[in-house]
Amino acid sequence: MKTSLHLKPTKNKREIIVKFENVHKYFGDIHCINNINLEVAKNEVLVIIGPSGSGKSTLLRSINHLEKINSGSITVYGRMLGYYEKDGKLVEEKEQVIARQRAEIGMVFQRFNLFPHLTSLENIIESPIHVRKIAREEAIAEAKKLLKRVGLEDKAESYPRQLSGGQQQRIAIARALAMKPGLMLFDEPTSALDPEMIGEVLDVMKELAQEMTMIVVTHEIGFARATADRVIFMDDGQIIEEGTPKQVFESPRQERTKAFLSKVLI
Amino acid sequence: MYFFDWNTFWNYLWPVTALQNPLIRSGLIVTILVSIIAQAVGVILGLVTALGKMSKFAPLRWIADAYIWYFRGTPLLVQMMLLYFGLGVMHIYDFPDIHIGLMTITGAIQAGTFALAVNEGAYMAEIVRAGIEAIDPGQMEAAKSLGMTFGQAMRRIILPQATKVIIPPLGNEFNNMMKTTSIMQVISAGELFFAYTQVNARIFKPFELFIAASLYYLLLTTIWSIIQNRIEASLGERKIPTVRTPGMFQRLLGAKGH
Repeated sequence: MKTSLHLKPTKNKREIIVKFENVHKYFGDIHCINNINLEVAKNEVLVIIGPSGSGKSTLLRSINHLEKINSGSITVYGRMLGYYEKDGKLVEEKEQVIARQRAEIGMVFQRFNLFPHLTSLENIIESPIHVRKIAREEAIAEAKKLLKRVGLEDKAESYPRQLSGGQQQRIAIARALAMKPGLMLFDEPTSALDPEMIGEVLDVMKELAQEMTMIVVTHEIGFARATADRVIFMDDGQIIEEGTPKQVFESPRQERTKAFLSKVLI
Repeated sequence: MYFFDWNTFWNYLWPVTALQNPLIRSGLIVTILVSIIAQAVGVILGLVTALGKMSKFAPLRWIADAYIWYFRGTPLLVQMMLLYFGLGVMHIYDFPDIHIGLMTITGAIQAGTFALAVNEGAYMAEIVRAGIEAIDPGQMEAAKSLGMTFGQAMRRIILPQATKVIIPPLGNEFNNMMKTTSIMQVISAGELFFAYTQVNARIFKPFELFIAASLYYLLLTTIWSIIQNRIEASLGERKIPTVRTPGMFQRLLGAKGH
């Protein structure tokens, strides 16, 4: 079991990695992120749950600016990402600046999004070489360690289509880790997997949770219980309930949370 | 009564005798080189235009749209005449002959190649765009999440995948290109068809000569079909599951590949 947050060495000066302040986003008439205020501390594992269409993926994707926001601010490592403020308005940053900031944030997608024209190893070393400008040999050595860490050292030369979904997702995690990010975002990482492959991906994530700041959008309640420091339940673009896994899953206060959990907890 | 002159026909068909005629020899070379150059430039123009069409900067999109609109919406023959005679008359560019070693690139060849390339670029732009759009948007997102800029993601992730989608229609475009070079005859660029019309002007055997000329084009497009099939087969073996493309005979004979 993971120790709870207040026992960590960062106890006194809790370093904030991600901060949402009054964030709003609209898709046409839909208010898909409605006044979100949220802080994620270093080494914290935050799990976001909620029904589909609740805005949880949009919230996650707005952290590395894959989604634009309409107002408010999102800061990562104390800096706004994707925007700077000018006369009280959000102005979009130059793409080089955004790219540099994104390089510090790892992301894992529901559909893996591995590069199909590259082998596992090439997928992993692509960005360290071409974004970080690390020497190829060094990147390969690092990639091999990561492949071992996700238990796929024998799949270095395989192309994504030769791998199972679970293996592809583990490669995708290794690819994100190769950039040595300080923050990892997981967007429903097991939703596209066959049931028998979910465990292998969650095992990698659990191990990672020991040492990483992670924000995970998932429907895996078991994973959230075992790994999360904090759980957020979202609906209609709002945070409805927030607390430790024990609080949220065992004694939810809000009716909407109870209704949702009664459907997902069997 | 017109008798088919088998002797003339064979003389101008059989390469050993036909290629002794310097007009036909250089015409064949010009047709092949012009096709390759015009297609290559067309691909580059198409790529640039496709990226222009996807730009965030509106004036670039307008320029790309206008270019495609004009060059796909007007006849190539008119474009070629306009370029060759129009630019000359306006003294924008007089198309002087260019001498490279033993070769002379006449103004007509330059103008013809240029017109073919610019026209082809408009068609290639749509093909390239379709190729890029066929790639899962998740690829661009993954590349961006790894810190790549749009340009890096295009070069390293999107275009290598899109190429495999683009190559089959590109091959068909090149097949068309080799045939379409024949319209350079109207500006007397010394390509293959021009050579045959010149011979015909001398001996007046249009039926025999133009059948022979047509068979040379058939030879070129058939050789290309074989090469294209090899290329596509080697792409299909590697890496990416590609869309099934029609085989050589289906392509040549126009049968539907279902």
